[in-house]
Amino acid sequence: MSINKYTVTNSAVNALVHVFLIIVAATCIFPLLWMFGSSLKTQSTVFSDMSLVPKAMHWENFYLAWTKGGFGVYFLNSLFYTVFVVFGIVIVSSWAAYAFSRMNFPGKNLFFFMFLGAMMIPLPGSFVPLYVLVNNVRNILLNSLNGATPFFLKIFPDQFVYGMVSFIENQFYPRAAYVLCMINVGLSFSIFMLKTFFDKMPKELEDAARIDGCTRLGIWRHVALPLAKPAIAVIIIYNSLSVWNEYILANLILSSKDLMPLQRGLMVFQGEHITQYPLLMAGMTITVLPILVIYFAMQKFIIKGITAGAVVG
Amino acid sequence: MKRVFLFAICVFGLGILFNGCGSQPGASSASQGVRKIVVWHWMTDRDEAFQELAKKYEEKTGVRVIFELYAPSDAYSQKVRAAAQAKALPDIFGLLGEKRDFAAFIKAGHITNLIQEMTADNSAWKNSLFEKALAVNEFSDGNEYGVSAGIYGVPIDVMNIQMLYNKGLFIKAGLNPDSPPATWEEFVAACQKLGAAGIQGLVSGWGEVWMIDCLASNLAFNIMGPEKVFATLRGEVPYSDPDWIKVFALFKEMADKKMLASGIVTMVNKNAEQAFANERAAFAFNGSWCVNVYHGMNPSLDYGVLLMPRVNLSRPMYIWGGAGSSFLVNDRSLVKKEVVDLLKWLTARDQQAYLAQKTRNLPSNKSSLEKIPELLAAFSKGMENVTHPNVWPVNELPRVIERFDKGIQSIIIGEKTPEQLGAELAKLKAEEMAKKK
Repeated sequence: MSINKYTVTNSAVNALVHVFLIIVAATCIFPLLWMFGSSLKTQSTVFSDMSLVPKAMHWENFYLAWTKGGFGVYFLNSLFYTVFVVFGIVIVSSWAAYAFSRMNFPGKNLFFFMFLGAMMIPLPGSFVPLYVLVNNVRNILLNSLNGATPFFLKIFPDQFVYGMVSFIENQFYPRAAYVLCMINVGLSFSIFMLKTFFDKMPKELEDAARIDGCTRLGIWRHVALPLAKPAIAVIIIYNSLSVWNEYILANLILSSKDLMPLQRGLMVFQGEHITQYPLLMAGMTITVLPILVIYFAMQKFIIKGITAGAVVG
Repeated sequence: MKRVFLFAICVFGLGILFNGCGSQPGASSASQGVRKIVVWHWMTDRDEAFQELAKKYEEKTGVRVIFELYAPSDAYSQKVRAAAQAKALPDIFGLLGEKRDFAAFIKAGHITNLIQEMTADNSAWKNSLFEKALAVNEFSDGNEYGVSAGIYGVPIDVMNIQMLYNKGLFIKAGLNPDSPPATWEEFVAACQKLGAAGIQGLVSGWGEVWMIDCLASNLAFNIMGPEKVFATLRGEVPYSDPDWIKVFALFKEMADKKMLASGIVTMVNKNAEQAFANERAAFAFNGSWCVNVYHGMNPSLDYGVLLMPRVNLSRPMYIWGGAGSSFLVNDRSLVKKEVVDLLKWLTARDQQAYLAQKTRNLPSNKSSLEKIPELLAAFSKGMENVTHPNVWPVNELPRVIERFDKGIQSIIIGEKTPEQLGAELAKLKAEEMAKKK
């Protein structure tokens, strides 16, 4: 094999690119390794032992983080919110995106640009209106329940009625309000992404489905949605990540700690002046695991999603 | 059955129409006679102790107290502000922010004036608390915010900023740990002896400029007295006055005599705390919260507390401090009497001692000192010498403060002389005062 100028240049460029990529990969993975390493240290050694692999490993930090941070309830709550919010976003955004892409109605473009505009508003900008809205609806609901309770007491047993009122007030409404707010937060990006996807979908496929007797909803269900799988996978990953890591809105809307998501557990370790780093890092490691699983499970769709539109139909 | 169900739905709907808008959620619970008090706070490290106290209080009185923790403090502040807009604040809450935010909440009718409760029974409640801690929650007659005079908050702990010294490093350098420096000369001599033994002198988070501001103001109060400092803030005495030059020269002396830890000018307080906890410096200038911090970083650290050594022996050394955290009463609370009773109980001697022991914060009740650990008690003794910009009759203009702090940093790194800084500040102050007029 002869070594010519082209081969040398090519190898050198390749080597440089690989060195650069290895450095970038290392900078991405280093915080994770540091987090895991710190989760095995003690509060004193975390400030003195700078090695990634500590001499004495304190695996009990994971148990302590789980129990002290009350991760059990928070974990289930986060799972509940993530599933319902992501499901809601996928359904609503695919309907809306399909309508924006395929249907004609007055103010279509205005509404679409309003959705796009909503993407530009950072979440903290909508805190006060969201809180006021959620609080007012809650007041209406509570007063209505109070008004209707005497009537229900005539029909159903007391325990059942009071149990239901308490359930609606303390469990159903706060959770539903948070899920709806989070769906609202995730809609703009998802609609934008799916509309772009549907715009490039051949009309002939729809015509064929219509000839076969499909309604609009049928076309959405049997034609548009299956074709949009890569885009939906990206939406699922993106929104799962944002709901799983969300805390500020939960903190604003939810009052009982039994309703809080996983991020609340991490706050227990962050005092006003002192942070329990080993337990915090152990908690963060636990928090990261499920989202890594989702990411790896849907990894193959990401590339397809990024090139969405190129091979539609 | 189907008709009954439809009828039920109709009644439910009518309920929505007729009862829909209006009252707050708390109203219903109060009208049903539920004795419940809701408290919002952001103090993660105190939540466990609060929950314990809530249990004790319920056993004692039958009143259920719900402490709801919202952290971190930024998220908490957003929740409080949103709730204030929705008029849905809890019975008790804390407010993080400047005094003008506090005043805005009072003017909007969110906070109760507690002056009557404080002064009842010959001011029994008021007198049980550190006077300087109450001052932060107090508005005097004719205050610049236009708030009616009164006391609008209850301090649940206090804080102050003092000097700390490492007893082990003192022994290593041949110094007596039972006799820390009381004067500036002794402090300089101690630092030089420590330096000779290869030990760094003073460490502090002077990358956070407010800590420089704090030490400079302590020294200025000691050298020239509060009145002359206030006269400077009013623009009546220039910063080029010899007393101010003397203040700036102390920082130059510390730098020239290598009394400061390396990198102090850019050091954030968290790193300064690590340096002191890991015994890399013998002195620290830090707030009373550090007792908790050092315990977490190095539980075996042996250290003591002292007031900043005095330069002028004829005047006391003033230190910054006041209320650490305060609870405020929602003026719209339907259980205001119960709320005040709870706050009185929380700030009583035994509960304050319990909180101090559990959370290592200084108690706001003066009589708790005998029941708390020695280090905390030593910090608490400094409360007699406390002052704070929030309680001064006049405050410095923001641009001047910025130049003042950065100027001292420049002196430490040798970019400016005390005289240059004095002249620069005098000029800037004159310009800013002219703009104000």
